[in-house]
Amino acid sequence: MSLKYESQLREPLVYGNKTYHQVTEDIIRPIEAKPSKLWYIGFYISVALLLFGVYSIYRDVTYGIGQWNLNKTIGWGWDITNFVWWVGIGHAGTLISAILLLFRQGWRTGVNRAAEAMTIFAVMCAGQFPIWHMGRVWMAFFVMPYPNSRGPLWVNFNSPLLWDVFAISTYFTVSLLFWYSGLIPDLATVRDRAKTKLRKHLYGISSFGWTGSTKHWQRHESLSLVLAGLSTPLVLSVHTIVSFDFATSVIPGWHTTIFPPYFVAGAVFSGFAMVQSLMVVVRKVFGMEDYITMGHIEAMNKVIVLTGSIVGIAYLTELFMGWYSQSKYEGYTFWYSRANLFSPYGWSYWGMMACNVVSPQIFWSRKMRRNLYVTFFMSVLVNIGMWFERFVIIVTSLYRDYLPSSWSVYYSPSVWEIGFYAGSFGLFFTCFFLFAKYMPVIAVAEIKYVLKISGESYKDDMSAIENKEAGEFAHEFAH
Amino acid sequence: MSKHWQSFGELNNTEAYQKSLQNEFKEELPFEADGALMDTQTPRRDFLKYLGFTTAAAALAASCEVPVKKSIPFANRPEDIVPGVANYYATTYVQDGDAVSVVAKVRDGRPIKIEGNDLSPITGGGTSARVQASVLDLYDGARLRFPTIAGNEATFEAIDKELATAIGGNVVILSSTINSPSSLEVIKQFLAKYPNSKHVQYDAISYSGILAANKICYGKQAIPSYKFDNAKAIVSIGADFLGTWISPVEYARAYAKGKKLNAKNPVMSRHIAFETVASLTGSNADERFLHRPSETSAVVLGLLNAINGTAPNLTDKKLNVGIEKAAKALKAANGNALVVCGSNDMNVQIVVNAINEAIGANGKTIDFGTVNNTRQAVDSDFTALLDSKVDTLILLNSNPAYTWAENKKVENWVKGIKTTISFNAKADETSMLCKYQIPLHHYLESWGDAEIATNHFSFLQPTINPLFKTRQWQDSLLKWTGSVVDYLGTLKTFWSAKLGITNSWDKVLQDGVWTPIPTMVSGSPATFSAAGVEAAKTALAAAPVSKNIELQLYQKVAIGAGEGTSNPWLMEMPDPVTRATWDNYLIVSPAMAKDLLKIDLANNGQADAYEVHPKKKVVEITAGGKTVKLPVLIIPGTHPNTVGIAVGYGRHKNVGRAVIDEDKSVGANAFQFATVTNGAVNFTVADVKLSLTSDLYPVGLTQTHNIYNTDQGNRTEVMKELTLAELKHNPNEVLEDREKELAPYGGLEKFRQDGSIYKAYDKPGIKWGMSIDLNACNGCGACVVACSAENNVSVVGKAEVLRFHDMQWLRIDRYYSGEDADNPKVVFQPLMCQHCDNAPCENVCPVAATNHSSEGLNQMTYNRCIGTRYCANNCPYKVRRFNWADYMQADSFANNSSDLNDAVQYMNEDLTRMVLNPDVTVRSRGVIEKCSFCVQRLQEGKLKAKKASRPLETGGESKNWDLKVACQQSCPTEAIVFGNVNDSKSAVSAHREENANRLFYSLEQLHIMPNVSYMAKVRNIEEEEHKAKEA
Repeated sequence: MSLKYESQLREPLVYGNKTYHQVTEDIIRPIEAKPSKLWYIGFYISVALLLFGVYSIYRDVTYGIGQWNLNKTIGWGWDITNFVWWVGIGHAGTLISAILLLFRQGWRTGVNRAAEAMTIFAVMCAGQFPIWHMGRVWMAFFVMPYPNSRGPLWVNFNSPLLWDVFAISTYFTVSLLFWYSGLIPDLATVRDRAKTKLRKHLYGISSFGWTGSTKHWQRHESLSLVLAGLSTPLVLSVHTIVSFDFATSVIPGWHTTIFPPYFVAGAVFSGFAMVQSLMVVVRKVFGMEDYITMGHIEAMNKVIVLTGSIVGIAYLTELFMGWYSQSKYEGYTFWYSRANLFSPYGWSYWGMMACNVVSPQIFWSRKMRRNLYVTFFMSVLVNIGMWFERFVIIVTSLYRDYLPSSWSVYYSPSVWEIGFYAGSFGLFFTCFFLFAKYMPVIAVAEIKYVLKISGESYKDDMSAIENKEAGEFAHEFAH
Repeated sequence: MSKHWQSFGELNNTEAYQKSLQNEFKEELPFEADGALMDTQTPRRDFLKYLGFTTAAAALAASCEVPVKKSIPFANRPEDIVPGVANYYATTYVQDGDAVSVVAKVRDGRPIKIEGNDLSPITGGGTSARVQASVLDLYDGARLRFPTIAGNEATFEAIDKELATAIGGNVVILSSTINSPSSLEVIKQFLAKYPNSKHVQYDAISYSGILAANKICYGKQAIPSYKFDNAKAIVSIGADFLGTWISPVEYARAYAKGKKLNAKNPVMSRHIAFETVASLTGSNADERFLHRPSETSAVVLGLLNAINGTAPNLTDKKLNVGIEKAAKALKAANGNALVVCGSNDMNVQIVVNAINEAIGANGKTIDFGTVNNTRQAVDSDFTALLDSKVDTLILLNSNPAYTWAENKKVENWVKGIKTTISFNAKADETSMLCKYQIPLHHYLESWGDAEIATNHFSFLQPTINPLFKTRQWQDSLLKWTGSVVDYLGTLKTFWSAKLGITNSWDKVLQDGVWTPIPTMVSGSPATFSAAGVEAAKTALAAAPVSKNIELQLYQKVAIGAGEGTSNPWLMEMPDPVTRATWDNYLIVSPAMAKDLLKIDLANNGQADAYEVHPKKKVVEITAGGKTVKLPVLIIPGTHPNTVGIAVGYGRHKNVGRAVIDEDKSVGANAFQFATVTNGAVNFTVADVKLSLTSDLYPVGLTQTHNIYNTDQGNRTEVMKELTLAELKHNPNEVLEDREKELAPYGGLEKFRQDGSIYKAYDKPGIKWGMSIDLNACNGCGACVVACSAENNVSVVGKAEVLRFHDMQWLRIDRYYSGEDADNPKVVFQPLMCQHCDNAPCENVCPVAATNHSSEGLNQMTYNRCIGTRYCANNCPYKVRRFNWADYMQADSFANNSSDLNDAVQYMNEDLTRMVLNPDVTVRSRGVIEKCSFCVQRLQEGKLKAKKASRPLETGGESKNWDLKVACQQSCPTEAIVFGNVNDSKSAVSAHREENANRLFYSLEQLHIMPNVSYMAKVRNIEEEEHKAKEA
């Protein structure tokens, strides 16, 4: 007689018959222990990259955007490529947290914390590019619609770049709130376990006086739900609006109505790949194989093959429309500048195709989905492919547009352009290393919530009870 | 009295208290003199000093110190200067023999812009790129600033004193062509004073072939006036008369008159060009045929024979066809025909004269009554001089040590002369060999006159006080002659005699030009003597045709014989034919590129690789024992077995910083390849060896792709061209084309409304618009330089052009079309901001830094721009330019442009910056800029009309121009018409109406509603060909 339906096929969400205490111990121990050598090495490399990025930006601000190899025809290159790439990566976190929460996908709990952190750091990185790519960054505040004495002079509400400002800042704010509100109970746990005064104080402040009372939990749950509700449209809107930067323009290769869904799918695709890359490492380094299980990895690989195929269809649709529209300008962009391997940037298009469309098909095989090495390799490959995708969209559209007279010389980045990109990695990993060291990388409270709904532990715990005769209960009760 | 105490210790006065009292200040104060503390690294006082210093330094550093630029106001305002209002002075651009009547715009005592003089009957207000750029030469830092004797600074008095005795023996004045009557008078006086003296003229680019031939045929050693406007058929054989040959501004203007056509009367001249390497003229021809330099004789002979009815029999079948066509066209023109030839071979020119006689050109298109005075030098005079004994050489505006074929010989010759005096603005290659260097005024600082053609006078007046210790050469000669009157006095006396009482000196000076006989039409044709023709024909028939690769030396439109090499504006102006800046290179045909470079332009991959990489292959060129290495550009329109090198490069660093790139002189001196045959310079070499090296050399091209059609469809919206036959057959062809392109969006009629979901609004008041006749535009580039000068457009230097960072607001796109990839049709399209009504740049700017004015201008607000470059990306014409670096040193970051090319540094020197137009903001780093339709001129023009209380007038019925934009003003062919399109009587409205059937807007189908209209290019290609195609 079972009290709850139990699938014989469903894998447990957490392996190893953990108790609540064990969960807390496993996840919070790394915070309390001294960081490993590996952590230090990683952290210092990240900081070094970050400093290189800072110097690259210093050059760009002091000497001008001419430090980069952009030109009169190609106004955007690595800068906006990297921006879109990072924003795309910043999609998985919110998708996992919000949409999967609304769909009651229990498996999300193992990865949502790290994924959300990744989202926030990725959006931070993304934000750097549109800021520092401005020719006069010291005037960047002009993009804010604030009352002023210049007329007043307002921003141009028609401009997709302005929509970007709103979309990204909203997304960042909501993601940050969502992530942080989820962190509060866990920070309180860290506080409660703290052995030094400083720790107690700092974690005390950051956990906002959480006591774990029912009222707290009730409010926490409501807030999560509300934020999830708020974030859900954002997941779709952010990249839709980023795609408007291109879709609302007149440039062949940009002026495309397919962009919003195609960008969102691509964003989820790259976001999941980035989560995979990080998770595969984190679970190994912090020994959290029981929490971030093969089940998680497989689930995310399924999302990857799905979204990869969606972008694949989008690519083919573009090619089809390049021919079907009979627009010679689009035809040239899609069929010559991109699809022709031997055109100057043909390599980037086929690199994109190989990484994003062809190689993820390997995940139709269950064996491959559950292979860590393949997963890690593929996750990196997908992110390279998605970088190519943005590069292809931006550069191959711009470098040969309407007037053949302005077709550009070959664009390849300068060392400071690469430096800026490397710096964004530095920022991302510096933040991530600090996060991994000082905050629970897995949502402790949420894991506990799903601990007992998995088949295995339920069976183990309930078998003794189920096997008891009714008389035995009566007997125990009498005592 | 009660005792007051502070402690029990004090009350009881214990021993311990006593002790503690003594030790109360036990610790030594830091300023105690025992030194320990003062010896520390940072004693207290020093610490305070450091603290104060660092705080002050930090405060200074943090307050973003802005570089201070000082400006000094007038203490006493000069009478005729109103701040903010320009004065215009008519003067004359003089460079070697060239003379163009111009008007100098002077702001606050500084000439800042050269405009054409509309009153000139020769150029009619037209200018060239070199004329436009000449104002920058005034502020050239390389100009000599004081006279020197053997390299040491000297005063004019000292020089005059020394030379009073030093000038003697055989005295020679070696000058470029002098067409100033008063100056010739001065020289005459000088020659009279020194008995053994003579005046020899020497031109860098020699026309002695024509001069000698005309002497034989017409008894006049002169160049006649060529009237291209009278010619219905024109055949040019290697004469780049639109770019560099004799008087290009005049010819371009006349030529365009014959090329302009309107719907009612579709008639235009027919021009067939024969040439060896692609030139501006050949690119503009209706048909072009390519030949080897050594085939020139055969071509002219063939043409003469063809006109006399014998079919030409050259080995090159294409040439035979061309000659037949040319002969047919010339004969059909019934005397209104003209053949010109660029060869310096007297025999060739005699045969050309014979052809012109045969077709009846003499007296109709060739006028010996009004001869052109700009080129008079005869090579044999100079070769004779080189072999004669000279004791005193007075060098005047000529530079044979650089421009003469055997320059080493000239060098030795100059070194062997006892007294060498140089009149020159710079210590150029020959002047630096001279003992006495007496720097000259720039023409904008000079008095003078010029008789450009017979009875066509033009005057010079100073527009600025001399910047340096310079002196006009006429003054020096007068001094040495012993005259008490200076040159100005001589000039006035000379002209008061000539002008008589009816014309005042002030009036002609104000007009700048004077033509005593107002029309250029003169009487009967010159008498032709056929005596020399047979001998010439025999000589030409014997001339061998080379079997090897041949070399043609040519002049670039901007560079000339090397005068432009030191001018950054000219160096950065893209060459109309090659679209390259700043460099010297070898031109080869696509056919030769296949063999020599292993680059096949028909192969997309190889063509792409060639286009997108600025580094070009370097070839070693050997001829006559001399070797140079130059990068190679593949330029269609060049004979497969001929290569071309532009002269004017490889200059000495003395002539200016622009000739130096990365510590090396740009290019090589190609004059060294020229040969002297029969006493005349020959700019071709019949046998050169080319060998490919493994080196690569970057060449700054501003346009890399040259064909507007693609495999994915012909981009007919970009450019429209057709033949005259097609136009006659179907006058509405262009309109039908447009109708077809716009059909999906409502068709031509309803396009404005139906192409958009938004309502189309009326645009009352002024609406600025431009119309460009592609038939008149020959791509010469005068407008490009004029635009840079007017709008303070930055010079960015070669390194930045290589990175595609050129800043010019106006460019002239050059496209190839037609089936023959080795000899394509060429069309030039001037392209600037199109000021679209639905500008795609405007709606994408997040901060509304670019927006639309009520007068239809697409405006750019520099101080609102934050530099996202989105507008530049979204501009389908790619005319927006971003300030990648602090090119103008205009932003608040100090010392942030030192890495930029030397050209940028040079343009930012105080002296050079005097050329900046104070009406136009210099743009700071990080902002976008683009063509503003010269908004400062529009404002000025509107004010002018307002002050006169009448509506604005932009040409047309009123004939009055309240304003002309810079490109329009400079254009020698009046291809650009600008004005108020809402005024149906304006010139621009009339232009659009008259040519309605040729009118198109580039990329019209995008519904961006550009305000620059183009008139489709029409080529006069024979009717039969059209019919053959139809069938």
